[in-house]
Amino acid sequence: MPRLDHPYVPRPTRFTVFLRTFLPWQLYRFVRINLKMLGIIRHSH
Amino acid sequence: MRVVILGSGVAGHTAAAFARKWLGDAHDVTVVSPRDHYNWIPSNIWVGVGLMRPEQVTFDLRPVYAKQGIEFVHGAAKELHPEGTAADATPYVLVAPHGAAPDVRERVTYDYLINATGPRLRFDKTPGLGPDGYTCSVCTEEHARHAAQALDAAVAKMRAGQRQRIVIGVGHGSATCQGAAFEYIVNVEFELRQRGVRHMADITWLTNEYELGDFGMGGMHFEVGGYVTPSSTFNASLFAERGIEWVTRAHPTRIEPGVVHYEQLDGSTHTLPFDFAMLLPPFTGVGLTAYDRHGADITAKLFQPNEFMKVDADYTAKPFEQWTAEDWPSTYQSPLFRNIFAAGIAFAPPHAISQPRSSPSGALIAPAPPRTGMPSAMIGRAVARSVVDLIHGAPAPTQEASMARMGAACVASAGANPFTGTAAAMTVFPIVPDYARYPGFGRDLKRTFGEIGLAGHWIKIILHHLFLYKARLRPGWSLIPE
Repeated sequence: MPRLDHPYVPRPTRFTVFLRTFLPWQLYRFVRINLKMLGIIRHSH
Repeated sequence: MRVVILGSGVAGHTAAAFARKWLGDAHDVTVVSPRDHYNWIPSNIWVGVGLMRPEQVTFDLRPVYAKQGIEFVHGAAKELHPEGTAADATPYVLVAPHGAAPDVRERVTYDYLINATGPRLRFDKTPGLGPDGYTCSVCTEEHARHAAQALDAAVAKMRAGQRQRIVIGVGHGSATCQGAAFEYIVNVEFELRQRGVRHMADITWLTNEYELGDFGMGGMHFEVGGYVTPSSTFNASLFAERGIEWVTRAHPTRIEPGVVHYEQLDGSTHTLPFDFAMLLPPFTGVGLTAYDRHGADITAKLFQPNEFMKVDADYTAKPFEQWTAEDWPSTYQSPLFRNIFAAGIAFAPPHAISQPRSSPSGALIAPAPPRTGMPSAMIGRAVARSVVDLIHGAPAPTQEASMARMGAACVASAGANPFTGTAAAMTVFPIVPDYARYPGFGRDLKRTFGEIGLAGHWIKIILHHLFLYKARLRPGWSLIPE
């Protein structure tokens, strides 16, 4: 039976991998990440 | 008054642009730089995998400066004379003009000086390291172009049925910029998949980090699924998912054709064979020297032994346990000369952020603190504002931009494709952990986060165009945040 390399390292589930390129979810994340980054910029200046 | 800025990288260019904007025509702004073109370095990794040409990450600075009324001196600063001479107290810099004979020097006088000279790439610290040796680099657009050619050659061999060993990471135990090398390794892995040869490559990450995900910042912690999880977990997961092996706590001691020799923290020595390697060098300052009005050498008073400039930081040597966020500089003013500032990589950090560790042989194996990108630009802008206010009569620097009170947003590309690509989008606040304000993890966990996805790639593309637009000083440039 083939075994996993680095068995103690966490792996993403298939659903997590799917979400990474699922357009509706990524459009939402695009907005959220930009807002988070703008918050960091505002807080740092 | 004349403000002279040494360097035209992120910090120097930002400082020059804002100084020009805020000073008006009554004062002069001069940039001295050995490079007459601007390089948006974060996109060099895409040049290094052949997805962009060097021309897409660079542009000529001369017309931009001419349009803005910024004088440009094409040459490398060599000597600072902050007290002038015994006969004339006007401070000046001696510059080696580009293309002139080695002993020719041009005198550039100043009233205020901003040292933003960036790093010297010290490939010489490891024999065989760098484009003049046996490994590639992505530190400049030309290095990246060379890396892309070497990668293409490796891909051609894979297509011909030859398995290739790829090693990416750092070329010395004290190197920094692990973030750039990290981006490069995941982009190479993605590109090999895109080109249909991934199964023919063994890819290894070689790093001086104690744990993966350190990035010279002592790592980060993210709140995920009810746990506060270290960045090492995410980094290891990302590598394992992509079949990338890793070697941590390593100090490459020499490179021979096709072989990296390295030592680890436990004192063991190893070799790592490669067919293609991209290993980043350690940085030092550019080697400026300084002299008083009588010609006596005062370099050690202005600079640390690593050639970075001393500013308003606490450089007292003390054990790691006593390091605090307050050690870090806030105004970047030289303690010796109130009209000299340093910005970006050119200022000397008071100490590392990651805990320094040494091998039994005495080799320091720990990442140096990163000062690139967003913090460099923010420091450049803050220093420019302080200089402008000092010129207008302020008694002391008016702006503070401590990396211990500043956050950073970073988008690390993990594959360039508008529909299948991804990037790790991260924010960290503050950059330098402050355990007094944020006990435990040293950072604000509400403002420190990371996630990987296509949205990050879109942001990375937008930032590429946005920051090049800003750097070209096109209409509205100053409204785009650093």
